Amino acid sequence: MLDSPGVTLGAVDYLILAIYFALVLFIGWALKRKVATSADFLTSGRSVPLWITSLAFLAANLGAQEVIGMCASGAKYGFMTAHFYWVGAVPAMLFVGVFMMPFYYGSRARSVPEYLKLRFDEKTRALNAVTFAVMTVFSSGISMYALGLLFELVLHWSFTASVLLSAVIVLVYTFLGGLTSAIYNEVLQFFLIVLGFAPLAVMAVMKAGGWSGMAARMPAVMTHTWSYAGSASENPMGIEAFGLIAGLGFVLSFGYWCTDFLVVQRAMAAESMSGARRTPLIAAFPKMIMPFIVIVPGVAAVALSHMPLGYAIPHKAGGGLDYDQTLTTLMAQFYPSGMLGLGLTALMASFMSGMAGNVTAFNTVWTYDLYQGHIRKNEPDDHYLQVGRITTVVGVALSVAVAYLVTAFNNLNDFLQLVFSFVNAPLFATFLLGMFWKRATGHGAFTGLLAGTAAAAATHGLTVAEHKGGWLGAVLHTFPSTMAQNFWIAICAWSACFVVTILVSLASRPKPDSDLHNLVYGLTEIPHDKLARWFERPVPVAVVLIGVLLLLNWWFW
Amino acid sequence: MNDLRIPIGGFFTLVGAILAVTGVASGGRARLESANINLYYGVALLVFGCVMLWLARHRS
Repeated sequence: MLDSPGVTLGAVDYLILAIYFALVLFIGWALKRKVATSADFLTSGRSVPLWITSLAFLAANLGAQEVIGMCASGAKYGFMTAHFYWVGAVPAMLFVGVFMMPFYYGSRARSVPEYLKLRFDEKTRALNAVTFAVMTVFSSGISMYALGLLFELVLHWSFTASVLLSAVIVLVYTFLGGLTSAIYNEVLQFFLIVLGFAPLAVMAVMKAGGWSGMAARMPAVMTHTWSYAGSASENPMGIEAFGLIAGLGFVLSFGYWCTDFLVVQRAMAAESMSGARRTPLIAAFPKMIMPFIVIVPGVAAVALSHMPLGYAIPHKAGGGLDYDQTLTTLMAQFYPSGMLGLGLTALMASFMSGMAGNVTAFNTVWTYDLYQGHIRKNEPDDHYLQVGRITTVVGVALSVAVAYLVTAFNNLNDFLQLVFSFVNAPLFATFLLGMFWKRATGHGAFTGLLAGTAAAAATHGLTVAEHKGGWLGAVLHTFPSTMAQNFWIAICAWSACFVVTILVSLASRPKPDSDLHNLVYGLTEIPHDKLARWFERPVPVAVVLIGVLLLLNWWFW
Repeated sequence: MNDLRIPIGGFFTLVGAILAVTGVASGGRARLESANINLYYGVALLVFGCVMLWLARHRS
């Protein structure tokens, strides 16, 4: 990771960054008064307006890995990366809003693991809560590690200084204002990302001669989404349409957006059922536009590097291109001091609120699902508020510890997909059966989850891609890319969980219907708000969403 | 703080003003971009911030 051109910041850039730091601390301080109970601190007391939950729902996932990783993937794989949005995220967001939120919100559960306890049993919740807590701390640590590394490389700041500074600021504002504070700062971060990076995309594309100019300077596969998805050998992702739709579109994305408490928690903070259902739907509109802001600059960077401009994507120390530097090197080329401060602040904001999102989700799961569920059951609420606050400190400290433990991967995005596929892929099968098949039992869900995770590990152990996997000795299949391998791991994990859950459920005793009200389809009253105007109802909004989505896929086919 | 639009609007108004002033004072050009983007984008952010503040004031 040598030969980075580096970025020199001026006083004005530091001033903008300092104003941002002051503002997030102010938001935390101003919200402190609103926190009186553990519910205020950990679940925002279900009182957050729709536009705020929607933008937070989107921004909670718009962390550093997203922004830097998507720009990197844009440069590495081309505009096919948009599948992560148009095949992956958006349909899943639609599904969670229309079909799953009635059960999450209607059950009055305070967290996703708590839903599992109400629907299935204690052991299923414990399994989910523990894996979620570990994964959350892990991703928070990875995020900090990436931040420290990037700022060391580009700005020559010390790794320890940037990690500790961001950790302390996140700690202060989440400690003071809890989930509401994290959500408010995510909304601020959303505007910063969009307003901070949109001009970069516009300038980079214009410099490269517009979309057609870009397309003329590189292989056609780089500017299309579907044209080259017919077979794995035709595109740099090394994936064919089935693996893409089933692995990324169905299993991974649904697993993440429909079951990951980090994002679901934002919708659950809404002030009404209708708000909770429309949160992911409204968030999906800006989500569809994000590829133009985060992926397009990466694609444009490839075109620019083929032009006589003196621009190149930096090399890694060990050879090969360091795609993770695409975004920052572009900023250095197109932003003068001033704009650079804004872009950098946007990056810092995405790192910090990504961490805050993880910490607040970790908080709730630890306090309600593990501590209250297993350690101390019947304490006054004040006790759990204190536990929540202490957990905030512990969560941040653990993240810092993980940041120092993580070792480098060639692409953050590939690595995250691997983690998701092991833990999240079987989860969606559990929730799908849990919410729509009342015969599914706790024993079935628990063994299904274990089987799914085992299947994921076995698939990774028995296949090889780019020298990764194959640790079980025999190699049954070789994938053209780790991304293709990840998608297929997810497909195997999901199928194993789905089948095992059904088989074990049929062999075990079902819960009586009286225990399943508001938890399962058929025993839950889905609100029919026919009197509301069309854009206030989830289904018509979802239909508009599908229309725009099809249009985008067709346009960039 | 009851309305999130106030701190967001305030932030972008301030940052927009700082960028615009920087643009006027130094003109700061980037390597691959010759336009005075600090000035133009600063004004755009200033307008965005003011709209947010105006929306917060005139909420129903």
